Amino acid sequence: MPEHQHILSIDGVSKRFGNFEALKHVSFNIPAEEIFGLLGPNGAGKTTLIRTITQITAPDEGAITFKGKGLHSNHTQYFGYLPEERGLYRKMKVWDQAMYLVRLKGLEKHEAAQRLKEWFERLSMTEWVNKSVEDLSKGMQQKLQFVIAVANDPKVLILDEPFSGFDPVNTELIKQEILRIKDQGTTIIFSTHNMSSVEELCDSIALLNKGEKVIDGTVEDVKSTFRKSLYEVRFKGSKMAFANLLGYRFEIIDFQEGSVVSNAVVKAHDGATGNQLVQLITSGLELVSFQEKIPSMHDIFIDLVHEEPTTTAEE
Amino acid sequence: MSANNTWLIIAREYLTRVKKRSFIVMSILGPLIMAGVLIFSFWLSLEESEDQKILVVDDNYPYFEALEGGDRISYEVMDMSLTKAEHLLEASDYTAILYLPSNILQSKAGQLIFKKQPSFRVQRQIEESIQQYMEISKIQSFNISEADYRRLKAPFTLATFQFAGAGREAEETSMLPSVVGLVFGILIYLFIFMYSVQVMRGVIEEKTNRIIEVIISSVRPFQLMMGKIIGVGAVGLTQFFIWIMLTVVLFAVGQRVVIGEKYVAGSQQQVMTEVVQEEMMEDERLNLTQLSDSDNLFNKIRRINFPLMLGAFLFYFLGGYFLYSAMMAAVGSAVDNDTDTQQFVLPITFPLLFAYIMSFSVFENPSGDLAVWMSIIPFTSPIIMMIRIAFGIESGDMWQVYLSMTLLILTFIIMVWIAGRIYRVGILMYGKKASLKELYKWITYNI
Repeated sequence: MPEHQHILSIDGVSKRFGNFEALKHVSFNIPAEEIFGLLGPNGAGKTTLIRTITQITAPDEGAITFKGKGLHSNHTQYFGYLPEERGLYRKMKVWDQAMYLVRLKGLEKHEAAQRLKEWFERLSMTEWVNKSVEDLSKGMQQKLQFVIAVANDPKVLILDEPFSGFDPVNTELIKQEILRIKDQGTTIIFSTHNMSSVEELCDSIALLNKGEKVIDGTVEDVKSTFRKSLYEVRFKGSKMAFANLLGYRFEIIDFQEGSVVSNAVVKAHDGATGNQLVQLITSGLELVSFQEKIPSMHDIFIDLVHEEPTTTAEE
Repeated sequence: MSANNTWLIIAREYLTRVKKRSFIVMSILGPLIMAGVLIFSFWLSLEESEDQKILVVDDNYPYFEALEGGDRISYEVMDMSLTKAEHLLEASDYTAILYLPSNILQSKAGQLIFKKQPSFRVQRQIEESIQQYMEISKIQSFNISEADYRRLKAPFTLATFQFAGAGREAEETSMLPSVVGLVFGILIYLFIFMYSVQVMRGVIEEKTNRIIEVIISSVRPFQLMMGKIIGVGAVGLTQFFIWIMLTVVLFAVGQRVVIGEKYVAGSQQQVMTEVVQEEMMEDERLNLTQLSDSDNLFNKIRRINFPLMLGAFLFYFLGGYFLYSAMMAAVGSAVDNDTDTQQFVLPITFPLLFAYIMSFSVFENPSGDLAVWMSIIPFTSPIIMMIRIAFGIESGDMWQVYLSMTLLILTFIIMVWIAGRIYRVGILMYGKKASLKELYKWITYNI
């Protein structure tokens, strides 16, 4: 464990714009050296929360602490930020632009140049350095933006919909880079609508809806909270024989009879456990596979928000 | 978020603009045009492009028969009708008809019908020669000798001196410093306008590019806004100094090449102006005044208090520029694209435009009520006070200068503060049509 278990603590943060309450007493912790998913539908307050973390705006109420200390303007050098709405100066040269933005993070000239050189080489971008940004393809621009966000070697890297608009090859490349950065000890806050990438990358999440935090915790914990005691069972035998074995505490939700192997989804009632189900089945039939049906993040999202998560960035 | 960052921003704003081709072209073209206009008007005043051969139609023939031409002007006095003369003009190499009607002795008016517009100098020369011809014929009819008449005439010139305190040498004044003041005032207008619009464009660029959010996660919006305003202002000053230096150099070189010999001749004539003028031929005297005038121009340029003028220029340019560019930065932050700026830019720049338009009437009456008020109100003072200072401010009126400067500083501080508050909200607002009421709400937001 690092010296602080939570690198960032969000404590009762509220923010209003005129009559609109963007955030209502939001509290949760972001564990260090993990990938933390910030989820929620459009207008849930994700971007507002990210802007308070990056100190673009200040909360009306509540506070954010970084490594146990209140956020201070000196802390911006420890943060890297790739906003959802991102852009570059179109007429500026790639290298000049990257140097400018990285040096604004407080890096000395030679240090900024050193770091950028490494990144440009790693992502094979070296031959673009003298190009104007307007001559780069969209994918190249996104790579450049990613490099600019990570080149100051941040303690906390905030990625707002990082994959929107990326082609599959670059998406995979950036995913690998994100995992590599995480292994080097960077905490990553990852805001997205894309639930499959949450499953793939995130260790913990917080879900916002209408300015309020709905749930937070490790992905595992969140999922187990939303377990519905459903089990997927494959066995050899007839439906009749199967139903007779189950008894009153287990209910068949779905059944697909096969010539040899059949599939069933069974719901447990009154605190019945998976173990008991296995014992019941194996007492009369041959069990081929048994698995608890864990809800996907996608299902949980819909459950909590009553809205389909979108995979594209709109806002 | 350090002062270092503000420098980085200023440097970027400055360098990207100074390296632009348009900046380099403007820096060279501006002085070329200015020096060109100066030299050309100088050259025009000295050089007549073609000799004038004038057909004089004298209705009182032979009254004007003895009319003599002069430097590059020759007269041929004829007794013919105007219609006939016009036919003759068409068919010959005469350059113009000078029509002296029968009632000329009463009306004292004639007409010049030309093929190609002659210069003012030629026109004045013709006027003077006719006037003198008529004067001399009249005095002869009164039995006064020409020599007596010349003694009667008392040409009088007025040199004006600014009182600088007892025992100190008073400074000779002339119109020239105030003309330079007007030019500086107009330059202030141009520069404030050009460069505050550049600030606005820059803000819009960052907003529509969406680079803004990355930047303000590293620096405070106010830093970014001030960095931009200062950087662009430095570009303006650079342009101004390049213009001044190049214009001076080009003008110095140009006047040596184009009008060098005449200039030397002129300075010799300076001594001769002291000599009694009666003995001189009229056209020569005319020539002489012309040349000594041009000589005076150089002396007058040397007499302009450039440190004062440049100091006032710097102060009023920077003060006015900060004031207007802060407002323009706020406008840029409040809109999503260039076309939406019109509704704000017009009312904001109206006082500036008004000051520019009024600058010519202020030039005619620099101590009038209008001039005084406009030189104190901060939105017009940068242009108007510049012109008034060039005319010279009486020590009793110096409070107006101090008041004007203090108000300008206070107003731009307040305006930068207000603009900063609008800016920090505006740069993150997309797709919202900003009204004045909306802007007011932004000022009160807690960000």
